Amino acid sequence: MSGAILWNGVPVAFRAGESVASALARAGIHAYGRLPTGQQATVFCGIGQCQGCLVSLDGRLAEACLTPCRDGLGVASAGAGND
Amino acid sequence: MTERRVLVVGAGLAGLAAAVELARAGFASLVVDQAGAPGGAIHRQPLPGVAAHGLPAQRRRWRGLCRAVAASGDRIAILCGHRFAGIDADGVALLAGERSRFMRPAALVLAAGATERVVPVPGWTLPGVTTVGAIQTQLKTGGEAPAGRILLAGSGPLLCAAAAELAAAGNPPVAVVEAGRPFRHAADALALPAGYLAEASAFLARLVVARVPMRCGMRLCGIERRGDALVARAEGGGRHLDFAVDRIGLHDGIRPNGYGAAGTAVPVMLAGDAREALGARAALADGRRVGAALAARLAGRPLPPGTSPVLERERAAQQRLRRIYAHDLGARLAAIGDDTVICRCENRTAGDLRALGDDPTDRELRLRGRFAMGRCQGRFCGEWVRRLRGDAAADAPLGAVRLPALPLPLADLIDAGAPDEDI
Repeated sequence: MSGAILWNGVPVAFRAGESVASALARAGIHAYGRLPTGQQATVFCGIGQCQGCLVSLDGRLAEACLTPCRDGLGVASAGAGND
Repeated sequence: MTERRVLVVGAGLAGLAAAVELARAGFASLVVDQAGAPGGAIHRQPLPGVAAHGLPAQRRRWRGLCRAVAASGDRIAILCGHRFAGIDADGVALLAGERSRFMRPAALVLAAGATERVVPVPGWTLPGVTTVGAIQTQLKTGGEAPAGRILLAGSGPLLCAAAAELAAAGNPPVAVVEAGRPFRHAADALALPAGYLAEASAFLARLVVARVPMRCGMRLCGIERRGDALVARAEGGGRHLDFAVDRIGLHDGIRPNGYGAAGTAVPVMLAGDAREALGARAALADGRRVGAALAARLAGRPLPPGTSPVLERERAAQQRLRRIYAHDLGARLAAIGDDTVICRCENRTAGDLRALGDDPTDRELRLRGRFAMGRCQGRFCGEWVRRLRGDAAADAPLGAVRLPALPLPLADLIDAGAPDEDI
């Protein structure tokens, strides 16, 4: 399956089986929104160990690097509310 | 009730090899992996329609293991897209994923591979700066190199390997900044096993053809964002070099990822890189060894030997590699300024660490300093906190693993329901 995820409402195309982080990286999106620490959330380890890429996926907090894309998946910054 | 299964965490070389040995001895196992397909870091499977990667010998090794798994029939079940979130004192394990569930395994094999070490440098938290492993993951699954100018920096043989893979994928890095001086250790290099030498020469040949400069004896001293670019400054041998790039991959070796192996009521064994970071060749042998040892333990038979000729050979080779890439890590750490972030999760700096005084206890490091208290539980700061304080035991974790071992929505715990005897 391929299609588009919605990064803050904007469609970002993905390839079948691709992770959210991979689709965003190919679209040039590396900064996932400001964390309570002042840093940007972003991919660092790419294998689910650093938790740096936590995003809100249809309202549920998960690692962008581990979660596969599906058509219409809403991706947004985790935001300070989820700290 | 059916016999309880062994829980194997990680469907890479070590985990699957352990499951195969357990199956041969009559024990069933459930192998969980966080990825969408088995393979682990080395044999990470490409997306549909993407060509397989890796050298022919590596692919043969993987296919052989897959055949052995298939021949084990229903004694091996593989559950992908699920993560091991820890096991409690009573032996109840939590698997998190699409359908989270608790499980009471007969025993636990932790074969979750390695974590990358990255020496902190100012700017390492900026978007676009990742581990080299993250770049390799993108390359292996998507079959294409990340776009834009890439710089690889740190130390160790993975830098050259990743640079060669990027070159083969059509986007060689602008440079490799290597803190060691590997080309000055010819005697050690020539004494490496033939397989290592063949791989290294294939990689170096690609780097020469792609004209990738190797800047040896240099280290990054800072990364800044300037406009659209990440600007990294390297220093060493009395000179400075600036690189304006789009992506930076950092890597300073690997360490075992044994997180989640807290004391529990059932036998726990670590296998492969999660036990001792010796690489792919050793992971297969170690998985077999651990599977056989656990089967003996569960059957009440005497345990087989704790090592094997393959493990001994790979351990010696890794020691040799460490000598080849040796450099003054102490000087790199001493150069870390007070405003450099050490703990990425909570933005705690070297200055915050130094402000805790000369000899803070582990408890003070955690509760006053907040080190190892964030979401990653110290996976990426623990060693540097220890080393900056001059601790001899640099690998000792800062405090016990907190369960769950990864952030989970409460809904996952509620959905998981009651522990199943067998799932």
